[in-house]
Amino acid sequence: MALSGDTVPSLKILLIGPSGAGKSALLTRYCDDEFEPETASATIGIDFKTKNLSVRGKPYRLTLFDTAGQERFRTLSTSFYRGAHGVIVVYDISSRASFLTLDKWFEEAEANTADGVALYLVGSKLDKAEHGRQVSTEEGRALAEAHGAGFCEASAKTRENVRRPFVELVDRIVQTPSLLAAARSGRAPGTVAMDEGGDGYFSGCSC
Amino acid sequence: MESVSDTSWDVVICGTGLQQSLLALALSRSGKKILHVDPNHFYGGAEAAFSLQDAESWANEVSAKDAGLFRSASVARHESAAGLSSRSYSLAMAPTLIHARSALLSQLVSSRAYRQVEFLAVGSFFIFRLPQDSAQQPALIRIPSTREDVFAATTISSKAKRGLMKFLKFVLDYQNPPQLELWQSHAEAPLTEFLQQEFKMDAELQTYIVTLTLSLNGKITTRDGLAVIRRHLSSMGVYGPGFAAIYPKWGGLSEVAQVSCRAAAVGGAVYMLGAGVQAVETAGDEVKLELSSGDTVKTRILVRADDNPSEQTGISRLVAVVGSPLTSMFEVVVEGASRPAVAVVAFPAGSLSTPAGKASEYPVYLSVHSSDTGECPVGQNVLYLTTLSTPDSRQLLEEALEAFVGTAGEGQPAQILIQIRYEQLAGSGSFQPEGPVITFPSPSFSLSFDDSVLEPVQQAWKRIMGDAAAESDYMSFADREGAMDDDDVYE
Repeated sequence: MALSGDTVPSLKILLIGPSGAGKSALLTRYCDDEFEPETASATIGIDFKTKNLSVRGKPYRLTLFDTAGQERFRTLSTSFYRGAHGVIVVYDISSRASFLTLDKWFEEAEANTADGVALYLVGSKLDKAEHGRQVSTEEGRALAEAHGAGFCEASAKTRENVRRPFVELVDRIVQTPSLLAAARSGRAPGTVAMDEGGDGYFSGCSC
Repeated sequence: MESVSDTSWDVVICGTGLQQSLLALALSRSGKKILHVDPNHFYGGAEAAFSLQDAESWANEVSAKDAGLFRSASVARHESAAGLSSRSYSLAMAPTLIHARSALLSQLVSSRAYRQVEFLAVGSFFIFRLPQDSAQQPALIRIPSTREDVFAATTISSKAKRGLMKFLKFVLDYQNPPQLELWQSHAEAPLTEFLQQEFKMDAELQTYIVTLTLSLNGKITTRDGLAVIRRHLSSMGVYGPGFAAIYPKWGGLSEVAQVSCRAAAVGGAVYMLGAGVQAVETAGDEVKLELSSGDTVKTRILVRADDNPSEQTGISRLVAVVGSPLTSMFEVVVEGASRPAVAVVAFPAGSLSTPAGKASEYPVYLSVHSSDTGECPVGQNVLYLTTLSTPDSRQLLEEALEAFVGTAGEGQPAQILIQIRYEQLAGSGSFQPEGPVITFPSPSFSLSFDDSVLEPVQQAWKRIMGDAAAESDYMSFADREGAMDDDDVYE
């Protein structure tokens, strides 16, 4: 059954982290159950994806934002981070260099989001664990704990753990009253509905 | 990933101010190879929004540089403001309000960029009125701007009401005969003269009308003035009852610029901040650029904005954060309307004077933004004061601020927590759409969005698109998000 977007609380979740960490692959696998091994190029054309997720018997509408390549030179804007309920930081377990950038990504996420935002760290490309691992599970978990973030390792290629970051992050969000209070269906109170505007409101002018 | 030096760019855009960002948005589905750089480490250029810390580093940078369009920038924190959280502020460099009938809004809607921006209602316009005799206090008088409003107003005589009504009716149809003949002979004369001669308005009513135009020198011509008033009145009620203009939450045009850049990035544009264009070399069909990041890049077209200051005109600005909710500024005056987040106060020419006794030559405009704008924490307000630069302008802004907090405070004057001051100069160049280097004019000073800002953007787009440009496609895009919704259940 499809859930109506008008009544279900909406949660804004961001995927950030260094270029090539596999953010888009994770997102596409989770939302569309697709994986294209050859699309190693930077993300083009995905603004955000939506997914309805029920946690503890209650439905939520997730809007999942990718970085649109703006992670490459670290040029994500303050408006991108605005209103985020949760942030998933992704690195590649087969790249030490990728792991070493994470302090800066956590710092940026913490500086640009509300206090208490739910954080989650994902070590991606778990399928490479046997032959190409450069970051141990323990190191990843320790870093996540230092930032109060959830943690798991996942593979978009094999599907292993792909749902886990999203489910656990949302579970965290719904158990944080201050975050959940900011979740709403539809427009924020007091803001103007642009799509309802135009000529219809008053016929002509009110004066 | 291809390096920026190895790529043959179709266009390099320098600066992420509103015009450059809108150009990036316009090109976001074009398939062109776009490199968008900014010498600043923040988005928005002259239309940026700052946290307290950002504002302080910006002011230091401006003072150290003494070049470009900004001068004499400073940030002062009151001692009681020591513990304020820097990130709870988003102070707008260009707190421009946008009329409902502005083409900017239709472009944001047709390009779908509006979905990522939250808009708030701009409420009442007030006049600061000096006491007529020593028994009175200075007061803020709300300007009635609809027919119902004029009827209900208690501050205007019935004779004046008739004049005002006649004028409102005239403006709605001013471009058609017989109204056309009434004003055409006055077209280039000041609007105030026309109002006095044709509508017998007294000085106070003239001030009401001129205030609605937000004219910086107070001397707007009849031609321009009627167009602006007409836009104001026809914008009333378009997006809801009781308001004519809206304001993007979290810092005004800065938000529009950032969302536009994001849309371009989604379309494949590459973004670099802290990377300005240092040297330009034109050779045949190609422009070679040296970036301050150390990269050398090649492009077909370079788009930049004029930042060579002219000595002629400028504005003085004062941004003040006050620790008071000022609820009387945001009253709902039309039934069913939601609470506005912005109010405008005008100090007409002559209503302020320097300590040396010199009267103000130009109006001072003060925009009050409540915490609903997201620009300050709950219980505070941001006041944006603007006037044309004169030797006395900085002093007059102080006077206006003091007069306002004394009049609008609830019982006691509101505490001023933060003050930011700066001067902004106009550029010296004009729009240059020819050749491989396109230069946009310097940012507009207009306090309500001036649609003429959009024209150079569209012309630049046309240049870059060449024969592929169809006017009807301009800024007209479908929604991008995959509408397919999947359900996932976790018990």
